[in-house]
Amino acid sequence: MNFQVTDTLYVALAGYALGTLAALLSLFVREKRLQYGGLLLMIAGFIAHTVWIGTICARTGHPPLTNLPESASFVAWVVFAIELGLWLRYRVYAASFFVYPLVLLLLTLSAVVGENFVALDPELRSNVFTLHLLMSTIGVAGLLIGLAFGLLALIQDRMLKNKRHGRLWEWIPSLDVCKNLSFRALAIGFSIYTVGLIAGVLWSYRTTAGLMDLRAKQIGAVTAWVLFGILLQSYISNTYRRKRMLFVSAGAFIALVVAILGIRG
Amino acid sequence: MPLILVGLNHRTAPVDVRERLNVPEPKLPDTTQALHSIEGIDGVAILSTCNRVEVVVSTRDEDVIEQLVDWLSTRASTTRTELEKHLYILRHGDVVKHLFRVAAGLDSMILGEPQIGGQFKKAFVTAQELGTLDTLLTQVYENTMRVSKKVRTDTGIGEHAVSVPYAAVELAKKIFGDLRGLHVLLLGAGDMGELTAEHLHKQQVKQVFVANRSHERAIELANRFEGAAVQFDRVDEHLGKCDIVIASTAAPHFVIEPYQVTRALDVRRNRNLFLIDLSVPRNINPAVSQIDGAYLYNVDDLQQVADANLGLRQQKAGDAEQIVLREVEAFRKRLVAQDAVPTILELQQRLETIRTAEVEKCLRNVGPMTAEQREAIEMFSSQLVNKILHYPILQLKDASDEPQERESLRNTIRKIFGLAK
Repeated sequence: MNFQVTDTLYVALAGYALGTLAALLSLFVREKRLQYGGLLLMIAGFIAHTVWIGTICARTGHPPLTNLPESASFVAWVVFAIELGLWLRYRVYAASFFVYPLVLLLLTLSAVVGENFVALDPELRSNVFTLHLLMSTIGVAGLLIGLAFGLLALIQDRMLKNKRHGRLWEWIPSLDVCKNLSFRALAIGFSIYTVGLIAGVLWSYRTTAGLMDLRAKQIGAVTAWVLFGILLQSYISNTYRRKRMLFVSAGAFIALVVAILGIRG
Repeated sequence: MPLILVGLNHRTAPVDVRERLNVPEPKLPDTTQALHSIEGIDGVAILSTCNRVEVVVSTRDEDVIEQLVDWLSTRASTTRTELEKHLYILRHGDVVKHLFRVAAGLDSMILGEPQIGGQFKKAFVTAQELGTLDTLLTQVYENTMRVSKKVRTDTGIGEHAVSVPYAAVELAKKIFGDLRGLHVLLLGAGDMGELTAEHLHKQQVKQVFVANRSHERAIELANRFEGAAVQFDRVDEHLGKCDIVIASTAAPHFVIEPYQVTRALDVRRNRNLFLIDLSVPRNINPAVSQIDGAYLYNVDDLQQVADANLGLRQQKAGDAEQIVLREVEAFRKRLVAQDAVPTILELQQRLETIRTAEVEKCLRNVGPMTAEQREAIEMFSSQLVNKILHYPILQLKDASDEPQERESLRNTIRKIFGLAK
């Protein structure tokens, strides 16, 4: 059963694109109303996105996680849902400068790759496999949010240390809030991601009698897990400000991207 | 808009004149009532702060201005000619514009400062309770408060600290977020340090520790901040407990060295530490700023933050002025339209009477008609009357804000259409 990318995907993309544009513009004109406008457009995009994901679920009969477009779309959806929750709780404006483009990028990737949506192979219809997909995807979303707030904490720390307050100064919440949110998102995301990886290994063992193979997806996923573990430890030991942690963060992000793109292979 | 404002402020009058005219809060009700008893004043409110004394009245008699100036000169114990050098007298629309600007902080010594909003509210609420606000002044007051809020919300003009102590508080919030539950250590009893500690105390920090070479003075300050005094030689023990350290001693050398901060951060398990050095010569070794988790700001750094924020406020003041201008025009139009309502109603009534009578006469002359024909004549006559009235009504609604000009226009229209005087 083949499905075409529906109009709701394009509505979602348009909402995210305009919302991202408005948020980025607000960085230059320092206008709070533009930020609100951006958020409203993102929410409109999010509603269309939810409808699109719901449509896929209804038509294929499984969570939208079985190929690259589905997974990228679902990660984008979870990332924005978490961002929205955090915005409602903490009113963190600055996160939008990183999170909105990320959400837009992931959904664009989903639309551009545009693989046909297929019903799940009977071999893949297993609770362990579903758990692996669901936990890994939600974990990745948490880790991406953790990275975004970690970046904000680093920027805030630099601005406070250098006593030069750039354009982001007004939009970033306190250092403690950024650090705590980043730590919590990383800790929760890492735990969920770990469960997802274990479930993946179990499923692989059941179906192929091997723990894992060495495709880009698996290498990326494990590398990301190790690097995020190091990052989390840096928060516990309070060494997250060190320059090398920036490289670890960048490496962790790239490894995650490789893991997500590898879903195709 | 029969409004008059007589007053002076920090730009027009020196402090010795302002202090003589100042109305202390307990005396505000009596003074307001005394002014209200002046013949010709319909409504009155007095705005008295350390930077301005202004009397706003609604009156239909401009001679009241003379009496107000006399009253103010008596109060300032000076001659009328002498006081007039410092006074400004505003009328009608200018009063509204001035009040909108004042309440929004655009006319304040410190651009955008928020206290004036509260002082303005206090002045008008007092007048309202005394019954000295008439309908017009009540409308002015309500609109001023609305515009003030709009300016502050839309432009964020008052959001950034423009003094050294406030800049320190703002930075503390940038590091810790909520300041409640934090511990503060004040070293020394310098004025600026004391003021900063006071601002932090108002932010409901958990406890303020005070250390001073003179322990008696430390106890005195600690009592003021409901905190605790500590011996100066036992400061190290408290460094680890405190989140914010303010150094403001007269010591000619550093009293906090990097090793002490490193040790404190270890005790604090690397929770951030904000150090504010307000002393000259400096009391905290600048090398402290190299330590991860320690944020050191001296008095120059804080002054730079305050100056940059002032620049930001000045940028935002342009937008704020635009909002004020738009709101003044909208308010003027509302008031003028409101003022013209009785004349407009009378005019409509008068022409409707003429129309009905003429239609009846026409119908009698023409003889029997169908319902449709009758309806067509009714519609034609109504439309004709509406067209005739359109321009005079527009003129009445959009008249000048000079009460005399409006009165003159109303009289002309009444005369032309034969309305009762």
